[in-house]
Amino acid sequence: MQKPAIPVVTVRRLLLAIVLACFALTAIAADSGDALDLERLRGKVVLLDFWASWCEPCRHSFPWLNEMQTKYADRGLVIIGVNVDREHADAERFLREIPATFRIVYDPAGALASRYDVPGMPSSYVLDAKGDVVGRHIGFRNALRAEREAELQKLLEKTQ
Amino acid sequence: MKKIPLCLVLLGLAGCAQVQPWERDVLARPEMSLDNAPLDAAIDDHIYFSKEASSGGRGFGGGGCGCN
Amino acid sequence: MKDNDSFNATLAAATCALLGSAVAAPVAAQDAGSDWSFDSALLYYGESDGRVSDFSAAVSALRDLGDERKFSATVTADTLTGASASGAIALDRPQTFTSPSGRAVYTTPAGAVPLDDTFHDARFALNASWTQPLARLYTVSAGVGFSTEYDYTHIGANLSLARDFNKRNTTVNAGVAWSQDDVKPVGGLPIPLSQMLDVDNNSNKLGGSESKDVLDLLLGFTQVLNRTTVLRVNYSYSDSSGYLNDPYKLLSVVDPLTGDTLARVPIGQGPNGVYLFESRPDARTKQSLYAEVKHSFGDPVMYFSYRYMTDDWGIDSHTGEVRLRWPLGEGYIEPQLRYYKQSAADFYRASLVSGSALPRYASADFRLGDFDATTVGIKYGHGTPNGNEWSIRAEYYQQTGSVPSEQIIGNQANRALYPDLSAVIVQFGYRFRP
Repeated sequence: MQKPAIPVVTVRRLLLAIVLACFALTAIAADSGDALDLERLRGKVVLLDFWASWCEPCRHSFPWLNEMQTKYADRGLVIIGVNVDREHADAERFLREIPATFRIVYDPAGALASRYDVPGMPSSYVLDAKGDVVGRHIGFRNALRAEREAELQKLLEKTQ
Repeated sequence: MKKIPLCLVLLGLAGCAQVQPWERDVLARPEMSLDNAPLDAAIDDHIYFSKEASSGGRGFGGGGCGCN
Repeated sequence: MKDNDSFNATLAAATCALLGSAVAAPVAAQDAGSDWSFDSALLYYGESDGRVSDFSAAVSALRDLGDERKFSATVTADTLTGASASGAIALDRPQTFTSPSGRAVYTTPAGAVPLDDTFHDARFALNASWTQPLARLYTVSAGVGFSTEYDYTHIGANLSLARDFNKRNTTVNAGVAWSQDDVKPVGGLPIPLSQMLDVDNNSNKLGGSESKDVLDLLLGFTQVLNRTTVLRVNYSYSDSSGYLNDPYKLLSVVDPLTGDTLARVPIGQGPNGVYLFESRPDARTKQSLYAEVKHSFGDPVMYFSYRYMTDDWGIDSHTGEVRLRWPLGEGYIEPQLRYYKQSAADFYRASLVSGSALPRYASADFRLGDFDATTVGIKYGHGTPNGNEWSIRAEYYQQTGSVPSEQIIGNQANRALYPDLSAVIVQFGYRFRP
């Protein structure tokens, strides 16, 4: 197990998230039976985004996440939206209105969310090619898009 | 920032559990917002203050989806 | 006329309510692209016995500038007609009073509670506020307010700061509001406890205007109790100073045995009784503690609140309110109940007794008296397919007061000393996003 790289805003909780993220985490999708196996995504830069249909800022984050996924997919960026709605129908309604070009997994019981101890909605975790959590963003702010894109670009460069 | 368990210290409420950010679905509903009818509240406050000796008391913020 | 005192509270209340609207999106977000939303209301307020009636219209605009920055502005226009009890007591003979302008008289029939001269008044108010995050867990909000009517103007400003804790389960906020109100009554400012004089005799009236300053402080605490319940507790402190009298309110001077108003013979036209203008202290400090809870029982949502207020005028009040919002088809139905009880101000007097020493402060304004009031109402709201909502609200307000027995003198016991008030309120609302 590698030593995790820790960026700026960290407290004990992030350390815990890193420790947990270093293990292979699985979340079972309610309908597709598709297990989220981060081990299989080694070598890719992964952006794990926790969202919900009732989360207002998610209406603004989705267009940006779609843009990032489209732009950097062939450079090795994988965005995974982890939905925490209790009712699958609510997530479906949101996705009909604001579709996602990135992969969605479902965590209705909040198991994955609790493992990461998600501090706010939405929250994004950026994992580098080695599978370490190297960044965490709480909330979505339009003003930070450029900065976040630069962070992804830097990580993607390292994988080339 | 030291996390003070305010719900316990300040109010000593039993059963005051911490609700996780991903469990705010019910609280995110507009009708669960404490300020979901601001015009009604302003109208009521104006009427009652014209006819009674007390006023206001409401503040702002908190509750809701807790997003961002 | 007496919405005078309402404005400092209107500022605090309307702005606080506005602040709330600036923070919590009033209409469920439908379209990420539309950043304007509007809320409007048309209101009718009508008291029984031909007293006050009011039509008002309000429009509120909220602009979401993204990243939790919000701007909100509300415009309100009111037209008020009718009359309120002047504070003079009923008598077995007709009573004549000089009108506030000092140029005419008006008469109250025998046995009736004297009402102010009928007035017509238009009020216009504008409130605006801005909210934005200062840092991730900090939100700041600032607002200004202005309102005007023919004898009254108000300006105010407010500032608040909120900080979240415990993964935003807890919010602490502190706010301050300042306001200055100017009153320039029709006919001039009567010298407190001076006698009402004949028509065109303004020797007891001062020209110009007077002002009142109010400072409000608020400390609030919001706590998520569980997944379906949220609690808010607020402590408020309010300090008013300056001209706090109602320049149109009177007290009757009565005979110590019969309790009847002393008769007077006017020179030309004027009052046929002895009436004194009221006098209130020039400072008032109020404190209140307010708590509200919202709880969801699945689809229905219950709201409950309680407020305790106490001030240095001797008034204590309790307010309890409960609402239950029940989904109904495309909309909802929300019955509501409010109970209010207040104790009289120390200087509240039903009438002044001739021969006794004149107190420093005295007022017969029923709003400072001992009463309880109940409101029963119901609101129905209906959502439209494009996410807008119209609503209708109807309420009945009934106020029943009492005068302490030691203040009831002689014949007064046979008359209604406290003018009970009942009013009907109907409001149409429409919320929309263009």
